[in-house]
Amino acid sequence: MSTNENKKESRLQTGLQATNEFNQPLKGNSLYKDAWRRLKRNKMAIAGLVVVALYSLIALLAPVLPIYSYKEQQMSHIHLPPSFSETAGEQMLERKIIELTTLAAKDGRVEWTEEDQRLIEQTIEEARERYTDPSSAGGEELTRKEKDAIADAERAIQRARRDIAVEEGRVNLNEEEKAELEAMRRQIESETEVIDGEEVKVHERRYLFGTDYLGRDMLARTVWGGQMSIAIGLIGGITSVLLGLFFGAIAGYVGGKTDYIIMRIVDIMYSMPYMMLVIILMALFGRSILLMFLALSLVSWLTVARVVRGQIISLKNSEYVEAARSMGASSTRIIFRHLVPNTFGIIIVYTTLRIPVFIQMEAFLSFLGLGISAPYASWGSLIGDAVEGMRAYPWRLFFPAIAMTIFLFAMNFLGDGLRDAFDPQSKNKL
Amino acid sequence: MTKYIIRRLIGLIPTLFIVVTISFFLIRIAPGGPFDAERRPPEQVMKNIEAKFNLNAPLHMQYLRYMGDIVRGDLGPSFRYQDHDVNFYIANSLPNSLLLGFVALGLALIVGVNAGILSALNQNSWIDYLAMAIAIIGITVPLFVIGPVLMYFFALRWDLLPTSGWITGRYGWITILMPAITLSMQPFATIARLSRASMLEMLRSDFIRTAQSKGLRDSVIIRRHVLKGSLLPVVSYVGPAFASIVTGSVVVEQIFRVPGLGRFFVQSALNRDYTLIMGTVIVYSVILVLMNFIVDIIYSFLDPRITYK
Repeated sequence: MSTNENKKESRLQTGLQATNEFNQPLKGNSLYKDAWRRLKRNKMAIAGLVVVALYSLIALLAPVLPIYSYKEQQMSHIHLPPSFSETAGEQMLERKIIELTTLAAKDGRVEWTEEDQRLIEQTIEEARERYTDPSSAGGEELTRKEKDAIADAERAIQRARRDIAVEEGRVNLNEEEKAELEAMRRQIESETEVIDGEEVKVHERRYLFGTDYLGRDMLARTVWGGQMSIAIGLIGGITSVLLGLFFGAIAGYVGGKTDYIIMRIVDIMYSMPYMMLVIILMALFGRSILLMFLALSLVSWLTVARVVRGQIISLKNSEYVEAARSMGASSTRIIFRHLVPNTFGIIIVYTTLRIPVFIQMEAFLSFLGLGISAPYASWGSLIGDAVEGMRAYPWRLFFPAIAMTIFLFAMNFLGDGLRDAFDPQSKNKL
Repeated sequence: MTKYIIRRLIGLIPTLFIVVTISFFLIRIAPGGPFDAERRPPEQVMKNIEAKFNLNAPLHMQYLRYMGDIVRGDLGPSFRYQDHDVNFYIANSLPNSLLLGFVALGLALIVGVNAGILSALNQNSWIDYLAMAIAIIGITVPLFVIGPVLMYFFALRWDLLPTSGWITGRYGWITILMPAITLSMQPFATIARLSRASMLEMLRSDFIRTAQSKGLRDSVIIRRHVLKGSLLPVVSYVGPAFASIVTGSVVVEQIFRVPGLGRFFVQSALNRDYTLIMGTVIVYSVILVLMNFIVDIIYSFLDPRITYK
């Protein structure tokens, strides 16, 4: 009965347009419109929003993007450095040439230029002068130590000039080596592989981000790893906010003993080294994505529960809730129709702020080798894999690290901007 | 006051009890045991091993016996490393972890508070912007990115610092620099932002205006009135900061090969070394809980508004 009357009332209101003193129609300013207007003025937040949108788009489109497979292993393409201009085949050939000429140069098959010879002779001469000490026991004769020192100097200069000769290609390869190179060249040109029912010339690929220790494309792995990380962050963030909302709302609304018990549990969990427990859990029960969600969600709803509870308590005593109660609305109705919608602002803000935290926690576990396992990847597991060989293969570390850092920055700026937009008084809070 | 401290200390016991109990049963119900090997030894040998480590008793008896042991301070023999017991390994590695942790905490506090104060006093100057930019990096970039990147540039690329090693090694004290900086970045950032925000709030408050109108010099006002109040939030953050340092040390010790407790932590869990996992969990929990307790006590000393009942 009362709902019918309500409807009539609202229809009546829409018929009567609200006007200001100049008889201009007044537009309602909803919380969201207001927040969006404030957010638009925040340049960093908008930049963050654009970056996040771009990342989400790439993550969503990962299956149809023109990138190679993230799990296909090319054993001949192991640890190729990133390159825009060269194909994998060209890089393989170059690597082979350097390998062969270095060996040949050690073998003495170097075409010495006049400059080389002059420099080598000059160095030997200098060393001889430096080490020949006229006052030493042997007089003009060189002692054994002095001879060794001179020989060392000679070897050093020869090695240095040899490296230059290798770089400049002044090394004679014998027939056998030339044939080996030629065979490789032919193989690279002709070799094809059947992938997904299509013949692919694998050596004509270009690896913009290089390859990893199994010859997998780092660009594909960074994109797919990003998809995994963002998905985990999103699902985890939403789960933890929903859990926090549920317990926070109950504690705040019901109050009394229920509130006390829930908040005591929250307090105890706060003081526990929960990341430690999560690490143990993952190490003991094996790596499963589901378990990781469960473990991380269980420990990350606490802050949200506290905030929601505070908000609910302040809303509970507001006049419109009192009005609803006096009209006979049930508790469930008050919670879900009146209180929860009014906490949506906080929920949006906290979900945005939770996502990077979740991504970081997942990456932390994956870095330790306890999170995502092969062939899947996340930014954390890629970084973790790369640390061992980062002196020789820095690209494996830097691309995922940069991709992840940019996303985390964007999420944080967006989250901070949203918080300021929904709650302008929080400007200086942390 | 003493009563309050004692009551708080007793209040710590349930938390520790819960942590120990949860971990004990988690570890036992996990699949796989410490002596699972590719080739199973003869039945009798297994029985002897299980009897030696008290694994043949019913689970609740094992639990009671273990609780009895740890109350007496005995963490038991390691299941994996036969040479020594868990107490020995922890006694050897804990000092290194603690040293690293406290250096990182000290660094974060000193640099963070000073950066926050300077930023607040020179609001919107280049100092402010620089400090806050570094703080945003510290909050956003995870330490397992900061650590390897520092190592790549300072150790591998520019050859300024040793890649790894520890104080007792041949490079000496300089080895603590990179792990400590990596660990301190996140707490530093939060402390800098906290102290800046609370300092700004304090500068705008009424009693500061009163002090100014009395004609006190700025330096006196800041030292005597502003600083004291604005450092309170920082003190209450020291507990969480230490928790983040302890958690982070697991990763940092692995990156920089620090011979600390974090090294045992993941490995022992993977090895199903029941007693060593329990030992590390207990030590970590005690440290964290004690740290929170100490911070709370200090806080209640500093803030006259808090009364202890």
